[in-house]
Amino acid sequence: MRLLTRIRSWARTLLRREGAELEMDAELRSHIEMHAEDLIRSGTPRDEAFRQACLSFGGLDRAKEECRDAVGISLLESLAQDLRFALRMLRKSPGFTAVAVLTLALGIGANGAIFSVVNSVLLHPLAYNDPDRLVTILHYGTAPVAPANYLDYRDQSKSFEAMGAAQAWSPNLTGAAPPEHLIGLRVTQNMFPLLGVQPEVGRLFIEGEDSSGNDREVILGYGLWQRRFSGGPSAIGKSMLLDGVSYTIVGVMPPSFQFAPFWVTHAELWAPLSLESSAQGRGGNNLRLFARLKPGVMLSQARAEMATITARLEQLYPGTNTDVVVTPLKETVVGNIETPLLVLLGAVGFVLLIACANVAHMLLARAAARQKELAVRTALGARRSRVIRQVLTENLLLAALGGTLGLLLAYAGTRALVALSPADIPRVESVSIDAKVVIFLLAITALTSIAFGLVPALQASDVNLTDTLKENSRGSSDGVRRNRLRSILVASEFAVALTLLIAAGLMIRSFAALESLDPGFNPHGVLSMIVPVAGSNEVDPGRRAIFYRQMLERVRSLPGVESAAGINHLPIAGDLWDRSFLIEGRPMPGPAALPDAVYRVATPGYFQTMGIRFLQGRDISDVDVAGAPPVVVVNETMARTYWPSQNPLGQHIAFAADKNPTSMTVIGVVKDPMLHDWTGKPFPELYVAAFQDTDFLGMTGTGADYITLVVRTAGDPAAIISSVKTAIWSFDANLPITNVLVTDDVVAQANAQPRFETLLLSVFAVVALVLAAVGIYGVMSYTVARRTHEIGIRISLGAARADVLLLVIRQGLVLALAGSAVGIVSALMLARLMTKLLYGVAPTDPITFAGVAALLIAVALTACYVPARRAMRVDPMEALRHE
Amino acid sequence: MDKQVELLQGTLDMLILKAVSLGPLHGYGVLLRIQQISRDRLEIQQGSLYPALYRLVHPGWIASEWGESENKRKAKYYRLTAAGKRRLQTEAEKWNRMADVIAGILDARPEEV
Repeated sequence: MRLLTRIRSWARTLLRREGAELEMDAELRSHIEMHAEDLIRSGTPRDEAFRQACLSFGGLDRAKEECRDAVGISLLESLAQDLRFALRMLRKSPGFTAVAVLTLALGIGANGAIFSVVNSVLLHPLAYNDPDRLVTILHYGTAPVAPANYLDYRDQSKSFEAMGAAQAWSPNLTGAAPPEHLIGLRVTQNMFPLLGVQPEVGRLFIEGEDSSGNDREVILGYGLWQRRFSGGPSAIGKSMLLDGVSYTIVGVMPPSFQFAPFWVTHAELWAPLSLESSAQGRGGNNLRLFARLKPGVMLSQARAEMATITARLEQLYPGTNTDVVVTPLKETVVGNIETPLLVLLGAVGFVLLIACANVAHMLLARAAARQKELAVRTALGARRSRVIRQVLTENLLLAALGGTLGLLLAYAGTRALVALSPADIPRVESVSIDAKVVIFLLAITALTSIAFGLVPALQASDVNLTDTLKENSRGSSDGVRRNRLRSILVASEFAVALTLLIAAGLMIRSFAALESLDPGFNPHGVLSMIVPVAGSNEVDPGRRAIFYRQMLERVRSLPGVESAAGINHLPIAGDLWDRSFLIEGRPMPGPAALPDAVYRVATPGYFQTMGIRFLQGRDISDVDVAGAPPVVVVNETMARTYWPSQNPLGQHIAFAADKNPTSMTVIGVVKDPMLHDWTGKPFPELYVAAFQDTDFLGMTGTGADYITLVVRTAGDPAAIISSVKTAIWSFDANLPITNVLVTDDVVAQANAQPRFETLLLSVFAVVALVLAAVGIYGVMSYTVARRTHEIGIRISLGAARADVLLLVIRQGLVLALAGSAVGIVSALMLARLMTKLLYGVAPTDPITFAGVAALLIAVALTACYVPARRAMRVDPMEALRHE
Repeated sequence: MDKQVELLQGTLDMLILKAVSLGPLHGYGVLLRIQQISRDRLEIQQGSLYPALYRLVHPGWIASEWGESENKRKAKYYRLTAAGKRRLQTEAEKWNRMADVIAGILDARPEEV
């Protein structure tokens, strides 16, 4: 009840603030008048009576203030008053306001942008039920597992509630225009229940649907459903022709559903995976395993159990089950990007620190200029806390303006980040400014206002009344303490800037090392695309070779095309298929010790088109056709690995798995092209002649029913995409051409992540450098301005101008050097964290450290030079008269 | 006239409650009444009277309304509310207890200890 009364009283006072003020005024005035009237009645003259009444009442304003305090309204009200005043102050110095707000907005905006990425990539849980109990089971934590091993793990382990397997599957959708190459997965029937997801429409796979012959169902992703069926519920039960086989649609997943969360991240249809035909296979590693830990089972227990199982299997089947790792799903998904993102978040935090330090400088300088104003306020009875509150309000207002602008910057920055980011950052498409990001921004805005504002506010309020008011216009000396604080700020700015610059410098050196790597082929001017024949008329073994030949000829005849050829898998962008082989004339090794190499199938002209150089022997040519003696080209690493002291040319090999192994003669050795990731070490690699390979020309199923067309062009590869496509469609309009790539982009994509990190770190480092330079410039200018008097005396006493110049520069240099010393230590610590991100450069790289330190000191000198020159030109007469 | 004594910390609120309990008063009137009852032995800072009045209005112990003074002047009158009456009672009891205790201590003679 009493609370209600109070609230009502507050509300009344607040709502009728003006009225309440008037009322209070009238009441106090009537008191004084009544008193005066009493005095007059007792014979005091009128004027004297009023004077006495006023005197005995005491401070009218103070009484009013205490009345406001008594109602408890004064805090709110004085806040409004402070805000109004702060706005007026900021408007009065638009230059100061603009620089401070921009500086803060830059810092806050950059933090918001990076945090929004961290938020969706690292902090957002995977959209599955209880995702923390999901794990992946993979060779080396990344590579797939063989079917027979999966079945053994599933049946023998006890740590998991369920264990499912997935296999990449990219069928061609035909029978409805336009044909489309779809990206999907085959998954064991238990996969969706294991993830704990529900369909949007229809149902999931039911038990038995992953047995062979009973696996012709398909579940669609939401996007595919919208695209091909306009989101109609009638899609359920319809059939789709995938690779020429009819599948029944049983369900549609919700829009938020994404599986797999890594590797095939854009899958939009799922079919059951039947393992009956491959249940005995321990050689073909093609399954990625997902499992859910049983409640109460720790990751370490599951790991120990899996280690026991794989060790036992390895004994039974030597050469298999090595290094099978159980990893939390989240780590598998974000493991590669976690460190770089955290480094970036740290870097951007540093930028904000520098921004705060700069604004703190500006406020300190302003506080010095406002000392008199604050002294007057104190003299009029303002308490210290009241002055601090007012100065803090101004700072909070600055921070709020900076934060608002920062939010806009963060929004734009997030767009830019997503556009720039490498494609392999998981969930980057979901990056946006959500409530969490806004809360983060509010928090850092509040923190920054305290960080940059509290110390200046405390200093500002700490005024010595008599001294400040007595002094003429400005102090001759500025107080040692205030100066020291400012020096520490500048030195710390330099330390932080140096740390960031070194981090960026290391990334740049590492990136340069990456870029200078020889990919082993010439990507410039090459266009590639996958032409799948599955589901088309060309899939027929009799027609396939003819189609490939004719297609290549047609493409070669196009204007702008220099050469064209075919390959099964493109370097870097394409798959790596491994095949075991036997070397003739050597004893038969055990099954685990069979030599193996990456299996490539190339048409004549492939090496020339890709710009892969021959070290020895000859190219695959038009004579190497079915019926002619089978030939094979190997890469350098293969030659060195298997024929270290022999000439590889003329040697014979045969594929170990073939029923009737055909002997192939090595006819050439090529320089190693880069195979998969940019820094991966080269594997042995062999190229068989496409028109001799009966598997490639006759088999259907994964890996054999498409060809990757590579075209070298005279001009811009992108310009001829449509004419190449038209040429191919002139044979069969039903061919879904996919993966159209300009090879330069493939190479760029291979380094996309380091490029992204390098770019961002460099931007932050440059911003930090500029802010630090502005900081030291500001402080030195300020110092020179404050010391004009002193410098004038020095000059008039005979100091040489050069001495004055040196005096100022030395002061700045000491700050820069002190900051750099601290910065080098913190840079060493940061660089240690970055080791994983660096390639070909040590985290302690002396060139980077020395170069950056030199750069920073040069910047410091330049920033000091301008104010130093100003000091040098001080006219002693002018300076002394000035005071 | 006896020597004036300064008001003890925190007693002004109670005195105001007492003063207005005898009938509605404006601020100046409160001052006069307290001086009159105390026979001018209490020194009251006029400036601190109004904050105290506002402090008492806020929790609803006294209520205010504008009226006309004996000299036909507009003035704000304060009167005790029911809650204020209870408050005055407890305050007064507390005060009396305290005064008793303190007086007892001050009156103590050596042989009683």
